[in-house]
Amino acid sequence: MQRRDFFKKLGVVTAVAAVAPAMSFAADAKPAGPNKMSYETALNAITGGKTPKKSSKVKLKVPEIAENGAVVPVTVTVDSPMTPDNYVKAIHILNGKNSNARCIDVNLTPANGKAMFSTRIKLGGTQNVTAVVELSNGDFLIASQSVKVTIGGCG
Amino acid sequence: MKTGIKIALSVALITSFSFASEQFSMSDADRAMYAEMSENNPADIMVADGEEMLDDMGGDEAFAKYLGVSEDDLPAYIAGFPRYIKKFDMVVGLDQVMQAMMYDRGEKPFKLKSKKMFSLLAYVKSIANGEKINIDINANPQMKAAYALGEKTFMTKRGGRGLACNSCHSSDVVGRVLRTQPLPDLGAKGAKSAATWPAYRMTKSSLRTMQRRFQGCMKNALLAVIPIGSKEMVSLEVYLTQKAKGSEISIPGLKR
Amino acid sequence: MQERKSLIKIKPKRYKDGEIVKVSFMVMHPMATGMGKDKKTKKIIPAKYINSVKFVYNGKEITNMTVWESLSVNPVFTTYMKINGKGKLTVTYTDNTGEVHEKTKKIKPRG
Repeated sequence: MQRRDFFKKLGVVTAVAAVAPAMSFAADAKPAGPNKMSYETALNAITGGKTPKKSSKVKLKVPEIAENGAVVPVTVTVDSPMTPDNYVKAIHILNGKNSNARCIDVNLTPANGKAMFSTRIKLGGTQNVTAVVELSNGDFLIASQSVKVTIGGCG
Repeated sequence: MKTGIKIALSVALITSFSFASEQFSMSDADRAMYAEMSENNPADIMVADGEEMLDDMGGDEAFAKYLGVSEDDLPAYIAGFPRYIKKFDMVVGLDQVMQAMMYDRGEKPFKLKSKKMFSLLAYVKSIANGEKINIDINANPQMKAAYALGEKTFMTKRGGRGLACNSCHSSDVVGRVLRTQPLPDLGAKGAKSAATWPAYRMTKSSLRTMQRRFQGCMKNALLAVIPIGSKEMVSLEVYLTQKAKGSEISIPGLKR
Repeated sequence: MQERKSLIKIKPKRYKDGEIVKVSFMVMHPMATGMGKDKKTKKIIPAKYINSVKFVYNGKEITNMTVWESLSVNPVFTTYMKINGKGKLTVTYTDNTGEVHEKTKKIKPRG
């Protein structure tokens, strides 16, 4: 429908012309943060160059569309017995485009009982969120999802 | 500002609304994730703070006594605010009651627009968690007048763009998207917002109250900001609380 | 040293020995990235963020984390924990400016 498209177009224009976001680091030309590191460098540092495998055992839960970039919920769950001979050693959460691609590195032990970690992260714009899982046998698993960050709203 | 320009600006703003498209709408799965986050609402810490503050004043027991109700009746009584309180001869919100209680105890009352008061208000209102809002706008002439003033304030166009709350938050434009946010119909019967404020605002990383949120919105809409606790603000709260009558209180809320 | 408000939450609230419970640690912390500007002064706000968290249960470290500035303000850290006897869970964090904070919660399994 023509009229609908017209409004839709205007809506998009208005969204782009939205007032400066509350999160100042989301805009352009930022001073580099203290721990600047790209996703590729961070991933290599974690896996030591090993190629992580995609696995259905890793469930990464992030919203497809984040209502705001300041608080994005992230939950990583791994199907693992968490016994001393077979457990998740670490869950790493990475982002794609923040100045520092590293969000958190969580070292677990069998005493955790289940392999899961949940937190909230800041995303400076639409980008991928990635979970890299380190198993006790030295394997690395990976799961990734794109999160669309909308910057808008009134106040 | 000339009327012609005012109207033109209004029209420009209204036509800039888009219909909520897939591009900007969060899925149910996404919304569920945010609802899950309420399990660990950062504002829980502020509510715990508020509890400590009230404890210093004698706790729930002292508060109930101050209001003249039994401790058992306290949650339901809180769920009926704002109320006309004879002692003050005013329609007041819970925060104003807290100020009066502090004053009567010989303490310097927290400012209405302060983090301390927001935390205290959040705790006090949370005492009524699970209760249904039972405000009574027909209780007395003062409540009737407050509701009428609240409705008038909601509908009055003012400011550089000639906007009223109703311009963006009415059933005519509800569901439309302004600056990527779908607009809620705040003025509708059953609009639950009053039941979930005070709330943690994610974009501000802080606990905010309903009146404080109104101030933020007014500022953005280029309306003169009304002071918290003023007659108009309390009346606005009365108006919106009436719309949420019957909704279950759940504090702290979690908002964008 | 700033007195930080924090909370340790365990879900469910009542648990038995051997049960695996969800444990969350929440704290009011600015998690400043060092890239944000103060709205009023326009000056860059120096980085101040939690950089490590440890969960110690009855003297044994069960989880430790290296935390970066990309975590949200007023962060939460949630994981699971297997209940293994009465005692206490202590969560400690440090931040990049040397701040240290500790919070303890009693662990009381029923039955």
